[in-house]
Amino acid sequence: MKIRLKILLGFLLLASLLMAAGAYSIYEFVKVSRSVNSLIDDNYKTIEASRTMLEALEREDSGILLLILGEWGVGHKIISSADSSFLGAKHIAENNLTEEGEDLLVAHIGHYYTIYKNKWQHPNGSSLRQGNIVWYLSDVHQNFLAVKKAVNDLMELNQTSMHTEAKGLSDRSKRAIMPGIVAIIAALIFSFILNFFISSYLIRPIRGLSKALKSYFPGSRDFDAGIKTKDEFKQLETRIQEMISRMESKANKG
Amino acid sequence: MRTDLILKYLGYVFLLNAVFLLISAGVSLYNTEESALPLLFCGIICLVFGVFPMIFVDSREAATHIEGLVIVVSGWLLTCIIGMLPYLMWGGEFTVINAWFESVSGFTTTGSSILTDVEKLPAGILFWRSSTHWIGGVGVIIFVLFVLPRGRKTRHTLVHTEISDLAMTDFQYRAKKVIRILVGVYAGLTILEIVSLKLCGMSMFDAVNHSFATIATGGFSTKNLSIAHFNSLSVEVVIIIFMVVSGLHFGLIFGTIAGKRENLFRSPVVRAFLLVMIIGIVLASLKLYYNGDYGIADSFRYASFQVVSVATTTGFATVDTAAWPAFVQLLLIYFTIQCAMVGSTSGGLKFDRIFIFFKSAAKQLRMVRHPNAVFALKVGHKSISESLERQTMIFIVLYIVILFSTTIILSFMDVDVTTAFSASITTIGNVGPGFGEVSSMGNFSSIPDLGKLFLTLNMLLGRLEIFNIIALIFMRRDV
Repeated sequence: MKIRLKILLGFLLLASLLMAAGAYSIYEFVKVSRSVNSLIDDNYKTIEASRTMLEALEREDSGILLLILGEWGVGHKIISSADSSFLGAKHIAENNLTEEGEDLLVAHIGHYYTIYKNKWQHPNGSSLRQGNIVWYLSDVHQNFLAVKKAVNDLMELNQTSMHTEAKGLSDRSKRAIMPGIVAIIAALIFSFILNFFISSYLIRPIRGLSKALKSYFPGSRDFDAGIKTKDEFKQLETRIQEMISRMESKANKG
Repeated sequence: MRTDLILKYLGYVFLLNAVFLLISAGVSLYNTEESALPLLFCGIICLVFGVFPMIFVDSREAATHIEGLVIVVSGWLLTCIIGMLPYLMWGGEFTVINAWFESVSGFTTTGSSILTDVEKLPAGILFWRSSTHWIGGVGVIIFVLFVLPRGRKTRHTLVHTEISDLAMTDFQYRAKKVIRILVGVYAGLTILEIVSLKLCGMSMFDAVNHSFATIATGGFSTKNLSIAHFNSLSVEVVIIIFMVVSGLHFGLIFGTIAGKRENLFRSPVVRAFLLVMIIGIVLASLKLYYNGDYGIADSFRYASFQVVSVATTTGFATVDTAAWPAFVQLLLIYFTIQCAMVGSTSGGLKFDRIFIFFKSAAKQLRMVRHPNAVFALKVGHKSISESLERQTMIFIVLYIVILFSTTIILSFMDVDVTTAFSASITTIGNVGPGFGEVSSMGNFSSIPDLGKLFLTLNMLLGRLEIFNIIALIFMRRDV
């Protein structure tokens, strides 16, 4: 094989190694970036929605207590604003079903909330429930707790999933760094070996030729630079040998 | 020493690993796992490093003895470094030290693991883990030489460096034939075990992985509970049979199949090896039964599996032996020291050396009685030369020195004595499980990092037969 081809192939191998490492690293980093996005889209949105729902529920609960105390105006205002914010958050959760069993939990929330809402919507216009704390504790509050539990379940599912995803993200980021590190070390070793080969198969023959030419004098033994490879250096050695023999035969004739 | 020639042979080691890495990547791709890319990337690296020296080095000259020694030892070290790459890339429980430990343990067919949950690993990585056993079982260099078409002199040098002189006494063939016998018997046994385990109801993936680990006398399992996971008598029986066969001299197995004079039935070492194992099984079964641990059938079942597993240096488990009576534990420790036969895939001290040791002791006793008489040490109809006898004795002494040194080093790192001793003995013997924290159902994760490095050195010393590594360390003085 010709020296030029050998060196070219050596560099091509190095380039392919670096390209493979680069492509792999890029792929892993893209995956890390996707994981971050999915972490935000899949779980964080629902966790935030759950928090809003819980806050709305607490506000609704306060509103109901105000109704029982006879504070119709303020109580009604609080309840209707909390109801719309609860329904808004529930809508976000309904449109962000990404985990297994999440649809069931969201359906539970809807179901319990409807029952809960029925409890405070109907006595709204009458004064029958005014001061009736027994009705609140035995009926309304139990339903309030049921909705709250359903929302908490949804939040827990997403939090657990987010935690798992975050843990995986740490592994994935390590995985994204590793090809780079391995490629750097491999490229360094490769360069050392390439340097060794260049030195062995390029510089050593040049030195051999130079030494053989220096020590050669007309009439001495055959010219031999000790080149064992079958490349351009061997050709050069042969050409020099031919040249010497031509020169010697010319000198002998003269 | 010709560095380019050594690099060329190390290139072949890279290529051999590349083949198995690419197959592992294929396994991952088939199972649509994330581990496909790390394995593929490692395969590409190995391919590049393997092809590179071939471009430049066209030397066909034979390797000298020293060059052969460097090729064999550095080939093993290199393959262990390659082996750790997929683990490092995968991450999880694999830190740099843990990846190195798992890789060395795999290639040296020790089977000790740092993993607390094997089943968490993807199929591709598990396959690579088993492949390290299979590559290391018959020997990295033997595999390379099997593929290489030419270089008779180099082949002869490398075979005599990789295979001990003691093992070569039962290989009365040329290097090329020895390699063919080794690889042929090895591959044949592996295929036979895969088929047998499949017939026992194992999945193809588990059958392949466990066959790789059995024939290589390794011990890596794809399950946290090792063979206990399958809870199948037929699986245990198949594995016991193949563990025993893998612990025998491959040359004698070939001789038996080919109807040669040198065969398993004519070898006194084989007879003694099997007899000692049977005595061990009977004693362990009786003790377990009378201790009230199990009924008579279960005592025999568990004792036979564990004794064979340890005596052949495989290291599979069907039960946690750490809970067994002290007598049985000591019995298993004896088998950990004894190891299997030379010429098999096992590492460590080897039963043949113990056999020669007792023969030599008997000879010395006879010499005390008859000081002027000349006695020849014979194993069967073969005479053991004085130099081989001396080499065996020195090997045993060095083995014990290394064993106790590692125990002391581990104790210095606050590892309890039971764990330190059994970890040292099990790693130098390439067995796998020990007692204490490193018992058959435990792992090596609790050993300090520096301790793990010493244990990997033990594994390499046990696998490369001590002399090769020591010769390489002190090579400069000789050259």
